[in-house]
Amino acid sequence: MLFHSPIFILGFLPICFAGFFALGHVAGATGALIWLTAASLVFYGWWNPAFLPLLISSVLVNHTIAGKIRHSEQPRTWMAAGVALNLAVLAWFKYADFLLHIVVSASPPLGITLPLGISFFTFQQIMMLVDTARAATSSPVMDRSPVSWPGLTRPSTTCGVCSGKVVDGRTKSGHDAMGTMGTAAAGASIVHAFLPYAAFVTFFPHLIAGPIVRGAEIIPQLTAPDFARPRDKNLAEGLLIFLLGLGKKCVLADMFGSFADTGFGAAARGIDLTFFEAWYATLSYALQIYFDFSGYSDMAIGLARMLNVRFPLNFDSPYQATNISDFWRRWHITLGAFLRDYLYIPLGGSRVGRLRQAANLMATMLLAGLWHGAGWNFVVWGGLHGLFLVIHREYRRLLPPLPAMAGQALTLAAVILAWVPFRAASLSATLIVFRGLFGLSGVALPQMIVAAFPPLSAFAEPVAVMPSLGDARTLSFPEVSACLLLGWFIVLALPNIHHMTERSRHLVLTASFALSAQAVFFAPHVAPFLYFRF
Amino acid sequence: MRRILLACGVSVLIYTVLFAFVLDRPLSLGALRARIEAGLARGAAIEGPKLVILAGSNGPYSHRCETIEPILGRPCINAGIAVGIGLDYLFARWKKLLHPGDIVYMPLEEAQYVRSRATAELGPDAAILLRHDRATLWSMPLHRRIAALFASDLRGGIMSLIEMALVRGGFRDPREAATGSFNARGDHVGHTRLLGSISQAALAAARPFHPSASELRNGYGASLVREFLDWANGQGIGVVGGLPTGFVDSPIDEDAVAAIRSIYRDGGAAFLELPGRSRYPRSAFFDTPDHLNEAAQISHSVAVGRALRQMAAEPAGPGGEASGVVARPDTPALTAPGLSGGLSATPMRLRAARGGPDKPGHDD
Repeated sequence: MLFHSPIFILGFLPICFAGFFALGHVAGATGALIWLTAASLVFYGWWNPAFLPLLISSVLVNHTIAGKIRHSEQPRTWMAAGVALNLAVLAWFKYADFLLHIVVSASPPLGITLPLGISFFTFQQIMMLVDTARAATSSPVMDRSPVSWPGLTRPSTTCGVCSGKVVDGRTKSGHDAMGTMGTAAAGASIVHAFLPYAAFVTFFPHLIAGPIVRGAEIIPQLTAPDFARPRDKNLAEGLLIFLLGLGKKCVLADMFGSFADTGFGAAARGIDLTFFEAWYATLSYALQIYFDFSGYSDMAIGLARMLNVRFPLNFDSPYQATNISDFWRRWHITLGAFLRDYLYIPLGGSRVGRLRQAANLMATMLLAGLWHGAGWNFVVWGGLHGLFLVIHREYRRLLPPLPAMAGQALTLAAVILAWVPFRAASLSATLIVFRGLFGLSGVALPQMIVAAFPPLSAFAEPVAVMPSLGDARTLSFPEVSACLLLGWFIVLALPNIHHMTERSRHLVLTASFALSAQAVFFAPHVAPFLYFRF
Repeated sequence: MRRILLACGVSVLIYTVLFAFVLDRPLSLGALRARIEAGLARGAAIEGPKLVILAGSNGPYSHRCETIEPILGRPCINAGIAVGIGLDYLFARWKKLLHPGDIVYMPLEEAQYVRSRATAELGPDAAILLRHDRATLWSMPLHRRIAALFASDLRGGIMSLIEMALVRGGFRDPREAATGSFNARGDHVGHTRLLGSISQAALAAARPFHPSASELRNGYGASLVREFLDWANGQGIGVVGGLPTGFVDSPIDEDAVAAIRSIYRDGGAAFLELPGRSRYPRSAFFDTPDHLNEAAQISHSVAVGRALRQMAAEPAGPGGEASGVVARPDTPALTAPGLSGGLSATPMRLRAARGGPDKPGHDD
């Protein structure tokens, strides 16, 4: 079930909320939690009920292993077994075909269907097992080295969990700037009971595509005595954030997605892209993936808020980052925190030599790429980001920082170019797009544009229409140009909705609601969220 | 919560006012609207029996009333506009101007049969209806009216601002110089092979999409055509279905052709199938797989005109039944009850031998 589908908005959501608060009133928080878990399973099974047993088994097995970790004398062994089991399941569903193809290139595909959200619920449960083991062995709190990737301090960021301002990377209530808690706190907060654990893992707002949240952040909220009491403030705030996220997804992301699909689709078919076709497709995709995923995250945050649960912030105007480390503190924040705390730091983090640090960064980002999908294009994307992070680290060690504007421009260029392999259907399509971006497949402009501005004919070949740009119509070029200007103005010049004033949020809702309603209830095609496939 | 509801309400109000009364697309939709209205005006001005070609842009680009009219000996209006214009809208406008004895030739593009209702109701005609033709909109079903109200998206709004600014700034649409223009009958003229040379690379790479027979048979557009055929039968108006022009190397499946044919035949209309099924080499096309260049357009129109004339001239099979004339397996029978109005009192048949691709420019 998609958050932006009519069946979810008009069917699932009202029934789920009514049942939740009614049961909360009649049967207390436990009854509401049972209802919420059941509703989440319905939400998950709506797409393909065949994978419900997988999700339920995963919850049961992981909860059992967490119990073993707490009570065993060898918690680390149980943790390792649990992590290995989770990774094995993930590998089978997500990477079996990819690995098989590497070993036997001519092998036919196994045809395994990827269960929805498996990457997310697997990672969350791995975090749970590791946190439980850390608590059980009272190991040190996570690495707090001030130089560990991607850095722990940010100037002033609202934490979605506590809505407090971050001071020195930590909020008043003890959450760090990534919206996560230290391991000791996490371990201490882990609830042993099955129901809160199951409700946490299956909680529908984050089940399919995150944010990747820790049990220690969510379970205490689910077990609060007044958890199921309706609160006007939360309902209003949550609804507002949900509707603004809906607008990001349906009005902006899907519009830019259609532009990106045209260009990347042509590249996938082996058709060369001219300069503007390639740039417009790439710039459109950069906007699509941001609006799509941050829109989804906002909708998830809003839904959870309506149910009295606060999620951490997942996006913080990432294209306004002034360097690549900053980008990773703003883009998919909860994944960045996971990679930092459960991969990069255990590998040695920044406590090791420079070469080893670089290797750790590369390994972390390559795996981040692979997490997004079993394909070499994702590996290339991860590798590029690893390389960017290594270069940035070395640059920062040797030279003074760039001026903010220059840093932002360079970061943006690097991030945008790295989206090309991420989006392209294959490495050959990636090369086609790169050739276009560098003008190696020519520069063309619509005949009408060249006729109106004759000096353009000096470098652009006039064509009737640009077949791989927008809808390939006569006026597609100015149309896509104007849309891109609007999109990039929003992401570069405006605050994101979590930093807006209440008044600004209502103004944005006034501007976007009717367009969102148009897209949800009247647009003939509903595009799924990009991150559903990861 | 009250402020949220207020914001939502104001949003819908602003959206409605903007798209119904303020924003307009004078270049893109304006050009389509001008052609629709020009065709209707010509149709209204003709008193005797006439031929009306209804299709997508395949109508004006690949068919030429100027050529067909003298062959058939009756005035002709090329009322095909664009594939995205709703068939229900075209039918609603033309029904008022069609009279017994008129012939409607419909070489619809395949996409017109299979578009979903949701897609069809959000076509460019929705914005035209809401902004400029609210009388017709009001006569249409409620779902169509609501869809027209919510047909515009952010892209539409942005394009409106661009087009309105261009027109206000005196911007002259250069498309005429680039692609040719439309004559008084609604034919596209001047789309020469030379002007089309700029699109040959794109045409060479184009891969037309062909829907399946089942999609064609069950499409929303097909249901609209059936409703129109019912109405035309009752009015004594002759309808002749046809195939759109397309690449010879990308033929429509036999089953799909049969599905299209059956839509018309089962509805009591005739069906015109030229030798070669209106397939031509890619070099005969102008800028898209639906648009012949001018020379091929004329040649194709000669073939269509002669076939229509032959249909009108040939007597039906024994008995002169109104429908169901049996043809040899290789010569599909064409019944056209409505053709009786002006050309013949009985069903007619056209012997259409199956052969290779038509030869544009060749005129016998």
